[in-house]
Amino acid sequence: MLRRAPRRTHRIGRGRQTAVAYALLAPSLVGVLGFLLAPVAIVLVLSLFDWKLLSTPEFVGLANYQKLFTDSDVWHSLLVTVYYVVICVPGTTILSLLLALLVDRKLRGMKYFRALLVIPWMATPVALGLVWSWIFDPGRGALNQFLGVFGIDGPAWLSSPVLAMPSVAAVHIWQFAGYNMLFFLAGLQNIPRSLREASSLDGASPVAHFFTITLPLLRPTMLFVLITNVIGSFQAFDTIFVMTEGGPGDSTEVATYLIYDEAFRKFDFGYASTISVLLFAVVLIATISQFVYFERRTTYEVSG
Amino acid sequence: MSRSVSRRTFLIGAGSVLALAGCGSSDDKASSGGGKVELVYRLWDEQQEVGYKAVFAEFTKQNPDITVRMEVLPWDQYWTKLTTELASGKAPDVFWLTVDYFPDFASKGVLAPLDDLISKAGLKLDSYHPNVVQSYKFEDKQLGMPKDMGIVGLLYNKDLVTKAGVTMPAELTWAPDGSGSFLEVARKLTVGSKQWGFCSWNHSQTQWLNWIASNGGHAMDKPYGAFDFASQKSVEALQFARDLVFKWKVSPDGTRTNPPTGQATEMFYRGEVAMFPANNALLPFALPEVKFPIGVAAMPAGPAGRTVVINGLSEAMFAKTKHPDEAGKLVAFLGSEKAQRLMGDAGYIIPALNNAGAGYKAFWKQKGIDVQPFLDSAAGSTVNLPIAEGWTAKSPEINKTVNDLYLDKVGVPDIATAMDKIGNDK
Repeated sequence: MLRRAPRRTHRIGRGRQTAVAYALLAPSLVGVLGFLLAPVAIVLVLSLFDWKLLSTPEFVGLANYQKLFTDSDVWHSLLVTVYYVVICVPGTTILSLLLALLVDRKLRGMKYFRALLVIPWMATPVALGLVWSWIFDPGRGALNQFLGVFGIDGPAWLSSPVLAMPSVAAVHIWQFAGYNMLFFLAGLQNIPRSLREASSLDGASPVAHFFTITLPLLRPTMLFVLITNVIGSFQAFDTIFVMTEGGPGDSTEVATYLIYDEAFRKFDFGYASTISVLLFAVVLIATISQFVYFERRTTYEVSG
Repeated sequence: MSRSVSRRTFLIGAGSVLALAGCGSSDDKASSGGGKVELVYRLWDEQQEVGYKAVFAEFTKQNPDITVRMEVLPWDQYWTKLTTELASGKAPDVFWLTVDYFPDFASKGVLAPLDDLISKAGLKLDSYHPNVVQSYKFEDKQLGMPKDMGIVGLLYNKDLVTKAGVTMPAELTWAPDGSGSFLEVARKLTVGSKQWGFCSWNHSQTQWLNWIASNGGHAMDKPYGAFDFASQKSVEALQFARDLVFKWKVSPDGTRTNPPTGQATEMFYRGEVAMFPANNALLPFALPEVKFPIGVAAMPAGPAGRTVVINGLSEAMFAKTKHPDEAGKLVAFLGSEKAQRLMGDAGYIIPALNNAGAGYKAFWKQKGIDVQPFLDSAAGSTVNLPIAEGWTAKSPEINKTVNDLYLDKVGVPDIATAMDKIGNDK
């Protein structure tokens, strides 16, 4: 009896809590349903239709998917996307980790320095893209002016099929490195200082300490950063749209750009939806495989 | 990160949807005030926006109950927004239309037929440039009021020409084998790897379609017909466009000029290219950009004489406009001699109305540019841009394929075959 009473109140309290929680969640739940899940469902349905915007939608079954498998543009754009991801993810991760190690110390003014590094992520991507197009401009751009000081005749960064992709990827890395640094910084500050003292007592060099202690303990952070980066790079659109419009030729035509092109230049909404579904599947597979890979290797707690 | 990115991207999307909704409803609100009607007029050229202010002031003077509000959108957004609005049934009352987009709009019934209002206003279609009239005809109905003729001519940098000691011949000529005065001049104007006599780049309207036409070839046999880029005459012309870059070396190559990142026009502005074919509508944009006097010549005549591309725009009326009478009055007024001369005399356009180009010429003479070659070219043999069903989707595909022409990797006949395949698909 005595035992039950508190349990019951506990349960009631919990039910109330749940109700309050859902009430508080409702606004964002509406957002997720109306603006995230509903569009996904609509895209899935649209991918089964032939819809050129001005014409009446016509059900065509899997015809769009058949076209997908023989469309070299689509597979090319997937390769381009993977190329972009392969540059951006390691680039952003390594740079942000280095930055985190750099700013993980107590120095006067360090917090301003940290804030400064996050600013690129806060800025509007379209504005960033414009500014970087000016910097990369072969004639009067800041980059080639700078190289000119050393007597180097700088290339046409964004109109060279070879250099365009590394150039736009560099902007992506610059844009997101500071933001990802925040996660590594939080991760680093969770590692007990006693471990550092212990390892240095045992005579470990700072490099050895980093690879045998810091890095393994950063695994949960690493998992988060890698997954969000892979997804983010697969979905990159805005800076590429502003800087190269997928060009020169189709050298920076990532999947998202192809989707935009099909939908808003050619007004083929059905086919654009089909490519979106493909991209969704690719990102899903990439994310799940990362989870599986890390699940076996992640140490969440120091005592573990 | 991903979440924030997608949310931000998403907000942009949601924002534009709201903007679309807001825009569509704006004309309803404006109309309901005691017999007064406000029409929405959409265009993409902020230079001409200034000119249209005078045109609409005159229109409102003649029709005190109707005012016109202009909406200027950048080129890319213009088509995205217009198409979505037409699809949703809420679009501007009157808007600009190109030959490229006409067939896809015309076949969907979103454009109002204008024949009745044209005859009621006492206008005659045969007093406009026949190519422009024909471009906007669909199943024997006139769905666009001829507005202007965008005619291709050869702009040149007078400073570079003088420095090279060249006198521009009265008529430039070219032939696939490299003979003719055009290439000769282009070679004299090419200096090392910093200055090119010409710019042969991937721009259908001002470049390769002209070579094809003046070589006696055809992009397609008739409006809504079949594409024939792979015919001998067309392939020769396309090969010439490539030879100018790689064989005769009088032009920068595709790595510098290919759209979307290429800077062909800027290279002319910067004085790195001496001769640059352009639509006459480029003049108001080019003039403030350049530090040299601009000369105008007619496009080089080929083995089949001189034939240049004409890209006339039209004023189109939304089929479901809430104010068909008022919008009809506006369209008729825009086709009238009064309106066409207002725009021509202010140097914006060569009116589509025949013999209305004198004011245009006088305007540019004041600026030191003799535009007579443009007028002569318009009066001579002209050819339309391709008019084909599904062209809005096909045209960017074909243009993308032609980028290869300026890179010297894929053979020209293969490129031409690929172009035909895209054009004749379905």
